[in-house]
Amino acid sequence: MTRSRIKAWWVVAAFLSGLALAMWAEELILNWRDNRLEFSAPRVHFLTGKPLERLHKAAQVPFDFQITLWAGTRTQEFRKIPQRFVISYDLWDETYQVVKTLGGLKKVSHLTAPQAEAWCLAQMPVDVSGLAGNELFWARVDIRTQDGKLAPIFGRESITESGISLNSLIDLFSRPAQKEQPHWTLDSGPLTLDELKRSRHAF
Amino acid sequence: MNKLFLVAVLLAAPGCGAADDSETTEEALNVNSRYRIESVHLVGQRGQLSHPLRTEINRLQGEKLDDSILKKLADRIKRELNAANVSISVQKGTLPERVVVNFEVKSHQQPLDLKLAKFVYHSKQGWTGDGSASTMIGGNAVTFGLVSDADALVERFSGVRAKIERRNLGTDRLGLRFEFGSFHQQWNEATLAAASPSDIYRSRQFFMPEATLQLARPLELSFGVSFARYRPSLPAAKSGSANAVVTTLRYHQRWGSEQDEREQEALAEYSLRAATHLLDSDPVYTRHEVRGRAGARRGKHKIEAAFLAGRIDGHAPLFERFALGNASTLRGWNKFELDPIGGSRVVHASIDYHFDHLTVFYDTGAVWDQPQHREQKQSVGAGFNFKKGFQLAVAFPLRAGAIEPIFYAGMNF
Repeated sequence: MTRSRIKAWWVVAAFLSGLALAMWAEELILNWRDNRLEFSAPRVHFLTGKPLERLHKAAQVPFDFQITLWAGTRTQEFRKIPQRFVISYDLWDETYQVVKTLGGLKKVSHLTAPQAEAWCLAQMPVDVSGLAGNELFWARVDIRTQDGKLAPIFGRESITESGISLNSLIDLFSRPAQKEQPHWTLDSGPLTLDELKRSRHAF
Repeated sequence: MNKLFLVAVLLAAPGCGAADDSETTEEALNVNSRYRIESVHLVGQRGQLSHPLRTEINRLQGEKLDDSILKKLADRIKRELNAANVSISVQKGTLPERVVVNFEVKSHQQPLDLKLAKFVYHSKQGWTGDGSASTMIGGNAVTFGLVSDADALVERFSGVRAKIERRNLGTDRLGLRFEFGSFHQQWNEATLAAASPSDIYRSRQFFMPEATLQLARPLELSFGVSFARYRPSLPAAKSGSANAVVTTLRYHQRWGSEQDEREQEALAEYSLRAATHLLDSDPVYTRHEVRGRAGARRGKHKIEAAFLAGRIDGHAPLFERFALGNASTLRGWNKFELDPIGGSRVVHASIDYHFDHLTVFYDTGAVWDQPQHREQKQSVGAGFNFKKGFQLAVAFPLRAGAIEPIFYAGMNF
């Protein structure tokens, strides 16, 4: 009796530690909630290197995000969502401000670097209506920033009457990142919504 | 768990009032735009900025930080100084909520800078070419050049030039340069006929150390010594030396740049060369020269006026004498008709009007030795400036009798 109880403990412990290890190892973490996928990448830091140097010189640095979902096969695109965030570093407060520029401005300030990074991805949930629970899907998050030359904050081609356009951002991501352009690509999958729902319930 | 983390981020962030904002200006994008500028500095600047640009930069002080304005100014600084890059660095100021703006100017680090100072064909004088190559060695600009010039003086001088220059001698207000040249001469028949045989030389060399002091920008003073040595053509004659103290006071100011709708420029210069026995000079003379130039451009219209006056007292060698009737003075006249050995007195003025690629000009002046020989000459002409600096021009002397046009073709004349 005692022996079987120990066995069960080991199974639960192994499962939880395995799950924790898997989560720790993953760069891109997906969560399902109310038919929406939410993304986070606590181990990925894009406020580093040259973009960070520019921020510390009081420049505002645009970061372009794109989330892509493929369903069924890796070649069948299901959703593609672009977004641009403009980050600046408060020289006196020594905190970050992030402005979401697409689909209405949204601004948040007094953030630490990890908080600013997390806030960006938190603003990009993806509606997965139409995706079957057992259908395989893949997810990718692309993050790019400009190389720091004296380019306008919105390239001339990106300007529309309402500011930056969706199409221009999609065009931007349809071109490969330039060699010296800071960029990050985070992949996850194949997954199913059912798996994500189960893992959510496991907590 | 991750979702909880995100929620915690949003809730725990002190004062993180995430609110929809209809502001679309860059001011909303940069959190530092609420700070005022305490001071503005240019770091690594080489060369001078135009007066309007410096005024605009100075005007930033006390204003709120605006990233878009800083970028535009950095772009203008880059163009005016022909810099490789101008980056903006903003730091905390010494007072609370104040910031210091630094424009960091990075110069081109080209291994070799080739320059064609002058390249012109004159239908009476033939070709003139003056080219050089410069490089930076240990913070010094080193230049080597080849020249064959039949335009500037009454002689054709061909040879090499070398120059080493340090623009910053402890302070950017003081620079120092050493210049050396070695030339062989060719003479026009008219000059050989008019000059004393002892004045004709077949080669000359010069060495000139000179310092330049910025008195008050854009006013600068250059001073130094010129040691020239020339070998007369007469077989038995010994070499001569013309060693002189040289001083130049120069004012050069520019308003606006090529990219602006309006651009103005003014240059005024007085130079004195005094050759004296104290420097072991054979001829003793003083040479005064005043030059002025003013130009204004508005769109495609541009007008330029230039003035030259000079006087030599004493017996100066031929390379010091004034010549008119070349590619920049009394265009349309042949200098060997005006005065084949040059003059000790000169006055000249010209006015050029440019519209887009077209140019018309009027020159007037006189070169003489004796007052009774002073005679004012005039000329007019027209030209066409191609892109990349190539120019064609034709000029006519205004005089009674047969008028023979002179043609010019080339660059930078």
